[in-house]
Amino acid sequence: MVDQIPNLGRESEMLEELGLSSMDELFANIPEEVRRDDPLPLPPPQSEEQILEDARRLLGENMHLDSRPSFISAGLARNFVPTMVPMMATRGEFLTSYTPYQPEVSQGMLQAMWEFQTMVSELVGLPISNVSMYDASTSAAEAITCAVRVKSKKASQPTSAYISELVPPHRLSVIENYTQGVGIDLHVLPHKEDGTIDLESAKSAAGSCAVYVEQPNALGLLDEGLLDLREAIGESTALIVGVDAVSLGVVEPPGSWGADIVVGEGQPFGIGPTAGGPIYGLFACSKEFLRMMPGRIVGQSIDSEGQTAYTLTLSTREQHIRRHRATSNICSNETLIALMGAMHMALLGPEGLEKLAMRIYSSTSTTLEAVTSITGVELVNPSACFFREFAIRIPGSAREALGSMDSAGVLGGLDLGNWWSGMSDCILIGCDEGTSEADISALADALGKWVAGASR
Amino acid sequence: MSTIFDFQGAPGTGWSQPEPINSVSDAIPKRLRRRNLPDWPRASEPELVRHYTGLSQKTFGIDTGFYPLGSCTMKHNPRVNERIVQMPGIDRIHPLQESSQVQGLLSIYYEMQEMLSICSGMDAVTLQPVAGAQGEFTAIRCIQEYHRSNGESHRDKVIVPDSAHGTNPASASMCGYQIVEIPSAKDGRLDIEALKSAVGPDTAAMMVTNPSTLGLFETNISEASRIVHESGGQMYYDGANFNAIIGKTDPGRMGFDAVHYNLHKTFSQPHGGGGPGSGPIGVKNHLSDFLPTPVASRRELVEGDPTGVGDGFWYFWESIGERSIGKVQQWNGNAGAVVRAWAFYRRYGRELERMSEYAVLNSNYLRHRIMNPEPDVAARIHCMPAEGAEAELVMHEFTLSLSPVKEMNGVTGKDVAKRLLDYGYMSPTLYFPQIVPECLMIEPTETESKEVLDKFAADFHEILSEDPEIVSSAPHTTPVKRVDEVWAARNLILRHPGTASKD
Repeated sequence: MVDQIPNLGRESEMLEELGLSSMDELFANIPEEVRRDDPLPLPPPQSEEQILEDARRLLGENMHLDSRPSFISAGLARNFVPTMVPMMATRGEFLTSYTPYQPEVSQGMLQAMWEFQTMVSELVGLPISNVSMYDASTSAAEAITCAVRVKSKKASQPTSAYISELVPPHRLSVIENYTQGVGIDLHVLPHKEDGTIDLESAKSAAGSCAVYVEQPNALGLLDEGLLDLREAIGESTALIVGVDAVSLGVVEPPGSWGADIVVGEGQPFGIGPTAGGPIYGLFACSKEFLRMMPGRIVGQSIDSEGQTAYTLTLSTREQHIRRHRATSNICSNETLIALMGAMHMALLGPEGLEKLAMRIYSSTSTTLEAVTSITGVELVNPSACFFREFAIRIPGSAREALGSMDSAGVLGGLDLGNWWSGMSDCILIGCDEGTSEADISALADALGKWVAGASR
Repeated sequence: MSTIFDFQGAPGTGWSQPEPINSVSDAIPKRLRRRNLPDWPRASEPELVRHYTGLSQKTFGIDTGFYPLGSCTMKHNPRVNERIVQMPGIDRIHPLQESSQVQGLLSIYYEMQEMLSICSGMDAVTLQPVAGAQGEFTAIRCIQEYHRSNGESHRDKVIVPDSAHGTNPASASMCGYQIVEIPSAKDGRLDIEALKSAVGPDTAAMMVTNPSTLGLFETNISEASRIVHESGGQMYYDGANFNAIIGKTDPGRMGFDAVHYNLHKTFSQPHGGGGPGSGPIGVKNHLSDFLPTPVASRRELVEGDPTGVGDGFWYFWESIGERSIGKVQQWNGNAGAVVRAWAFYRRYGRELERMSEYAVLNSNYLRHRIMNPEPDVAARIHCMPAEGAEAELVMHEFTLSLSPVKEMNGVTGKDVAKRLLDYGYMSPTLYFPQIVPECLMIEPTETESKEVLDKFAADFHEILSEDPEIVSSAPHTTPVKRVDEVWAARNLILRHPGTASKD
């Protein structure tokens, strides 16, 4: 027996009022030839109790990140989310609202998003932020198409964008999907042997529509050279920077070294890794890009009596008005998760953000030291500075090493051979604010044992 | 008005954290080191809990009242779903964990793929797209690669009816297609003659919402599919209105090749303030090679295997192969939304069609109540709205045109929408579809009672009987009065001005 339907069992009086005698008659407009006559071949309905029991059993089968030392990040954070965040964000009014098309009864969510925009703007050092994209990858992809719309008319390479070669391949794939249809040629921006950007080669991007780089890059490296990238590519090319949002507690925000658009994964603020979603993409830009940017934006306004109010603004960029000429097809976004992000950021405050970033920096450095003191283990990029992640090269197969560490109860990181075939002897190790001394010892022990075994 | 930036407590006191595990020296190169911290608020938990409670009280959700926002299927969000996604077996999972560590999650993905295939008559499903619009984009990308693989790259046009959601032309356009918009027929349905003259050797696809945004079932859908297929094009089903037809018909039977579902509409995933969504797509076999990668798959357990989830199968991520379009989201979609939708689906199981039955019943009942006021009520009403489309029966939603009212006393659709806020309702979808003048689009969903519908109809009649001046100046009882959207667009105050970056 199903529930959740208040009129169940009361259909006859309603049908009678409509002059009908059966539910089937409601569907009389569906032509015979497309009608489904047999019942859906699915199991019987369950009660809440049964669903909860199955959910506990099935999700309980999963091995979650907090149940063992875990060193996997790769663009998501095994973060600690303050208890207040999910409790407040799932208040029914927030949880069950939708796009605030009627600002008069949506002031709370609109103000919360305007505050979110301000905090993101402060974080990255650019004046404008939207209320979220789907994730870091779609933010990066739509930043590039946005930059092309703004820059192509005056660009000497009007159909070109340059992408750092140290962007994770799954993100590159998203970028390719979003750019292939609108006539953008993607070129690779090479890095030097030591992992830093090749500023000399970057000069060839001058006159293109956009350059996309990440700080830290896919291997966790903080690259000082990026601060000189603006000079290398000139003023007319859009500089788009993907960031680890938490790193900006200690790392200079790209807005202050010439970035036009900053994107990134918002997830570390607000929600657990959640098997990859729902998460949210950050998107902030300078004024030049405002009217060509994707996504929803909240503006301050006044009501008919002159008091302060908030409303969605610049909607004429959007699909429900502009249709095929819209700046993006995005409609549903990730507002509820961005709300969680705003709550988390507000609770941290400026000093809390810096401390969180220092905790991650500290656990990264400590883990790096422990792991690289194992004979036979090398840093892929020696003598660089890392945030959250770093890559090691081991004497043998990363896959086998991770399998061995898994048997020892340690989730040791990501097999970089999954991303780049030439790196099947490399592991990307991710750290976070929850990484403990005991976790690091367990990782170093497990890895050390495998390396010792492998080199015997 | 106070904002979160008014909280300015002592630095670093709002919320405490453990110290760094090791007091490593800060070896970040000086040039890279952040000089000025962001000007965020300095607030404590007690202050923030009150701040956000206050904001929530100025936000209207389904929990607050009737939310008849057409096309958005604003049904009740069962609370057990929220309880489930707080479990560490979903909240604390990384998408790159080995299959052996996420058998439970994979089995839920697999079950959802199968269920959506069954309900839609499609052969393969991916749960990767994270919103309806992204589902549209993904499916059109698959169709694009399909044509390319057949040497038919010259097909560069996508046909869209004028009643379509804006996302349809926007998604196809992002893939590089030109849009051919065809007008609706007089009865609001697909115009077969217009379609015949629009199709040709350059047709890549047609995108159709069925039932349409007018709440009408496209009775000639099979013929439309035949016409498009004969021209070599593909048929794409926008699943925005899937709530109307589950178990009664399906896009496969109607001749569609690809479809997207909105788990945040049909399957109740909450999307507070505008998202998250989840927009899986289903396709027929000939398109399945092009789906984004990977999808959940399974094989029978063999000797030596671990026990898995106990159903005799081993689950794994299966990569789609070389013809795949790759990724549209960097992981495996909005897993949290998938798990909520799974919990919702389990409530109905084989009786999912009850959902559609009561959604369609409620829609027809409400339309009937609004359009047929009792004689004493009718006598007070200044002017009745017109039907958005003439039809004996509608599906899960219907449209009204306030044009006659506007002509008579100047009260617009927007005025009525704003006045409904005073009566404690969310406004219906306003001025969409654009082909209906002064349109209100109303979708009650199956989770509203007869009493709510009766009351809404009565209040609607009350508004039509009120002094037009009161209606035109509405709302009167909301936290703020009518908001000036032009002022916002002219002044563009997009962030708190008092915290301008010190850089």
